[in-house]
Amino acid sequence: MKVPFSWLREYAPVEVSPEQLAERLAVTTAEVERVSWRGVVDSGGNFDHFRVGRVLEAEKHPNADRLQLCKVDVGEGEARQIVCGAWNFGAGATVAVGLPGAIVPGGMKLERVKLRGSVSEGMIMSERELELGQDHSGIMLLPGDWEPGALLADHFVLGEAILELDVTGNRPDLLSVYGLAREIAALYKLELAPPPGNDPEQVADEPVQVAVDDFVGCPRYVGRLFRDVKIGHSPPWLKARLSGAGMRPISNVVDVTNYVMLALGNPLHAFDLERLAGGRLIVRRALPGEEMRTLDGIERKLDPRDLVIADAAKPMAIAGIMGGEESEVADTSSSILLESANFEPIGILDSSERLKLRTEGSNRWEKGVDPYLAGQAAQLATELMVQLADARWVGHTDIQGELPARPVVRFRPERADELIGISIPADEQRGLLERFGFDVAKDWTVTVPTFRARDVTREIDLVEEIARVHLDEVPFTLPARRAMWGRLTREQRLRRRIEDALCGMGFVEAYTYSLVASDPDPRAIRLPDPLTAEHALLRTTILGGLIRSLEHNLDAGNEQPALFEIAHVYLPGDEDLPDEPVRIAGLTWGGFARAKGAVETLYRALAAPEPSFESSGQLPFLHPHKVARVGENGWVGELHPELAEGEWGAFELDLADLAEVARDVVVYEDVISFPAVKQDLSFVVAEEVPAGEMIAVAHEAAGADLRGMEVGDVYRGSQLEEGQKSITFAVAFQSPERTLSDAEATSLREKVVHVLAERFGATLRS
Amino acid sequence: MDVEKLEQEAAKALEQAGSLEEIEELRVRFLGRSSELKLALREVRDRESGISLNALRQSLEAAFEQRRSALEQVELQHKLMAERIDVTLPGERFSEGHLHLITQIRREVEDIFLGLGYMIVDGREVETTRYNFDGLNMPPWHPTRSPGHSLFLADQVLLRTETSPSQIRVMEAQKPPVYMISPGRVYRRDTPDATHSPVFHQVEGLAVDRGISLADLKGTLLHLMRALFGEKREVRFRTHFFPFTEPSIEPDVSCHMCDGAGCPVCKHSGWIEMGGSGIVDPNVLEFVGYDPEEVSGFAFGLGLERIALLRHRVPDIRLLWENDLRFSRQF
Repeated sequence: MKVPFSWLREYAPVEVSPEQLAERLAVTTAEVERVSWRGVVDSGGNFDHFRVGRVLEAEKHPNADRLQLCKVDVGEGEARQIVCGAWNFGAGATVAVGLPGAIVPGGMKLERVKLRGSVSEGMIMSERELELGQDHSGIMLLPGDWEPGALLADHFVLGEAILELDVTGNRPDLLSVYGLAREIAALYKLELAPPPGNDPEQVADEPVQVAVDDFVGCPRYVGRLFRDVKIGHSPPWLKARLSGAGMRPISNVVDVTNYVMLALGNPLHAFDLERLAGGRLIVRRALPGEEMRTLDGIERKLDPRDLVIADAAKPMAIAGIMGGEESEVADTSSSILLESANFEPIGILDSSERLKLRTEGSNRWEKGVDPYLAGQAAQLATELMVQLADARWVGHTDIQGELPARPVVRFRPERADELIGISIPADEQRGLLERFGFDVAKDWTVTVPTFRARDVTREIDLVEEIARVHLDEVPFTLPARRAMWGRLTREQRLRRRIEDALCGMGFVEAYTYSLVASDPDPRAIRLPDPLTAEHALLRTTILGGLIRSLEHNLDAGNEQPALFEIAHVYLPGDEDLPDEPVRIAGLTWGGFARAKGAVETLYRALAAPEPSFESSGQLPFLHPHKVARVGENGWVGELHPELAEGEWGAFELDLADLAEVARDVVVYEDVISFPAVKQDLSFVVAEEVPAGEMIAVAHEAAGADLRGMEVGDVYRGSQLEEGQKSITFAVAFQSPERTLSDAEATSLREKVVHVLAERFGATLRS
Repeated sequence: MDVEKLEQEAAKALEQAGSLEEIEELRVRFLGRSSELKLALREVRDRESGISLNALRQSLEAAFEQRRSALEQVELQHKLMAERIDVTLPGERFSEGHLHLITQIRREVEDIFLGLGYMIVDGREVETTRYNFDGLNMPPWHPTRSPGHSLFLADQVLLRTETSPSQIRVMEAQKPPVYMISPGRVYRRDTPDATHSPVFHQVEGLAVDRGISLADLKGTLLHLMRALFGEKREVRFRTHFFPFTEPSIEPDVSCHMCDGAGCPVCKHSGWIEMGGSGIVDPNVLEFVGYDPEEVSGFAFGLGLERIALLRHRVPDIRLLWENDLRFSRQF
């Protein structure tokens, strides 16, 4: 919301600068996005260069068809010669003149110049050039009774600071100049001017034919009838205020409705009475199939939930949101039915979302406008209609449903102290609440003013009123603790150990979206209304994201990428909500062996026993013959060669699986006191015998004293028969209790040789 | 034999010897098994000549040892000199891993609050409207409840729009006091651009106990901001509005780039907005069965990406999701 500073000061004569005010408001009330400037810069006497001028002569420029050569009286005795490009005036017009030396809005400095051979000693200004509006079709014509030579600044605000506020949804009472002034008066302990608007004399008593069919949607409707309205331009002072508030001046009647909305916060609407069928209005819900063309020229289909203002035949306005083209006030209008109503917020919000139509009006209604405001708004509008459009006020009606009562709240000042953390004297709290418009009884029963009735309904809401004003004084403390439990859970510690172990192996952590375009699991949860097709499914595996990141890195020419990610996957189950296990995925250069090595190293880093790697059937993304299951839910494999050039190892493990096998407390095993007997044993076996099974069987046969058995080398070649391979194992025999004798070692070796021969037909090579 | 002459002869020979080999030859000659001295010693019959020959032997041995050690030193120096290298050549490359910048920041925040005695909660991401909205005092007409703002899976199931639902779950599951933070992924219907992502990370904080006040919230956030942005940072608070807190306040931290003087990072205001916070609304406490007259609390939430963008001057949030090694390896 944009608020012209001088307008604000008319109601609350604050003495601080706009910037100081902005800083204060930011802390206590609402964010001030910036303090900007509207109109002519006010420094170095710049205002003095802008004068009222009277055109004495105006004729075509001798050397230019599109220019006028004028003599303009600017109160200096001798008239100035000014060249002007506009033709909407002639001799006798009263105009706004910028003299040489003037800095005009936008920063340009006017000079005495020669235009097509004629000297121009100033510039006749348009509305847009003074930032009073958008009109640039011609120069601005001023009232004829303004004295030539007078400062423009004496007639209207030539330039001023504008506060640009971002008001939060709980404070609709601040969405007006007067509402903001009320807040500022309370903060700075200033005297607040009475609300603007006093009824002039009502000159006749014609009936105002308005009916309200829906008091839920429209608790109040003030209708006022005006005759002999003269549509025209608004005076410069009003244009300055509207422009400063960010609205475009249109015509006096429309400007009055906008002005009242800005001044008091109650949006109004003006209907051309002549164009209302039956000359009457009814507030009702739209009928099925009803349509109307709104002021923006768009034909809109209405929903039976939409509240409309209809004439005898059809909707003339979408209540609170936008008027219809048909009953729009035009230059020829002379009888006006002015609406100063109150609409219920949620309905307006819903309609506005349904129609995808947001306006200055709907923005206020949807936050909740004080229902008691409509009367005051009607008064201000009536005063201005009479004053600015020569209107005759001839009719009045005020239809009211049940208006909400003012909330009453019990307040304890000591409760405020407790929650805020400082001690504020009770009478100070009372004074503050009273300045904000609350009535505080002796026993601390607080009655909330109508304009805060939506926001303040509980004691805590009053505590906030105290807190926001004293926010800067609140000290910085920490909670006084009586219990502490600051530690990671076992799973959180494990996750960090995994992250660190993978980093230690040279993996770089990646983050990829949990919403993906496709997923190998057909049960993956699909968003009914996704952001884009790229983000349509909740993934059941992390690998897809890592493959995309790999592609990105390969395209970028980054060498030896090795990526990992730890994140939730989303597995649909029987419950309403999916299971969200945490998975650890990796993707690395170097193929299956490197990925498997990473998994083995990770298990060792977690002091977990080596997992089983069982050859597995097909898995999505993976080479069908280079993949193994790891533990309950994990796998390790090699990327399918169709997915990326080269050999890429991949794995995905389940955090809960790892949590089951990771050892937190490792108990010392003596592998130092008694030396191990180390031997290399080579066996010839058939090609299809898995080395892992041979090791498992050997351990089973030899018992704990077979300390280690690792594959050293696999040989295939001319010395062996077709279909056979030779595997060399590095074997270590060791007892924790004594040094093994040669005989014991030999016996252990025989057990291994025997069992491998028996189970796999393995023969020991010498 | 002439002791003096032998001694002089040996000393002279030693002096001329230039290598350990030559010294060994001389040792054999003067002190070896068949050297003149050894032969003479073997022949000794009287005490006097024994003393004098033994003294000679000792003195020769000492002289040899001294000379050998000197030469050894010289030879070692030569050897070391021959091994000299260009120390400016690169070392052997270890491929170092990197934690994602967001993980690093997440851990930093976690550690700060572990130090304050908070627990860390890993909440679920697919949530019900009960936890994502109802429990957080979001009125039925609140805009984030609309599919235009949030990503729904079903009528009452959506991807959480903030980490706050885990507050409600924790409070429902345990009695006060509660001191927790909850970092994690959250989702909004935002089209990705330099500062928006449909998926991003928040950390939520909650303290509920007897006598928790706004002052405690201010102190906690000051501690957090100084830990993240440096001890010189100031924190100011502005009134704001959120449905789940009352009063609601927004912390601003004084700009770490310009110390508050004004620069592009803080948009020339000297202050940087850091998130939302406030005193937990009594409706939220009542929702989980806590008595607002007995306990009070504060809650806050901030975006981890925002910290990354501000503190590490990452110009585009999408860089955090591309996983380009040229980016990741910087952190």
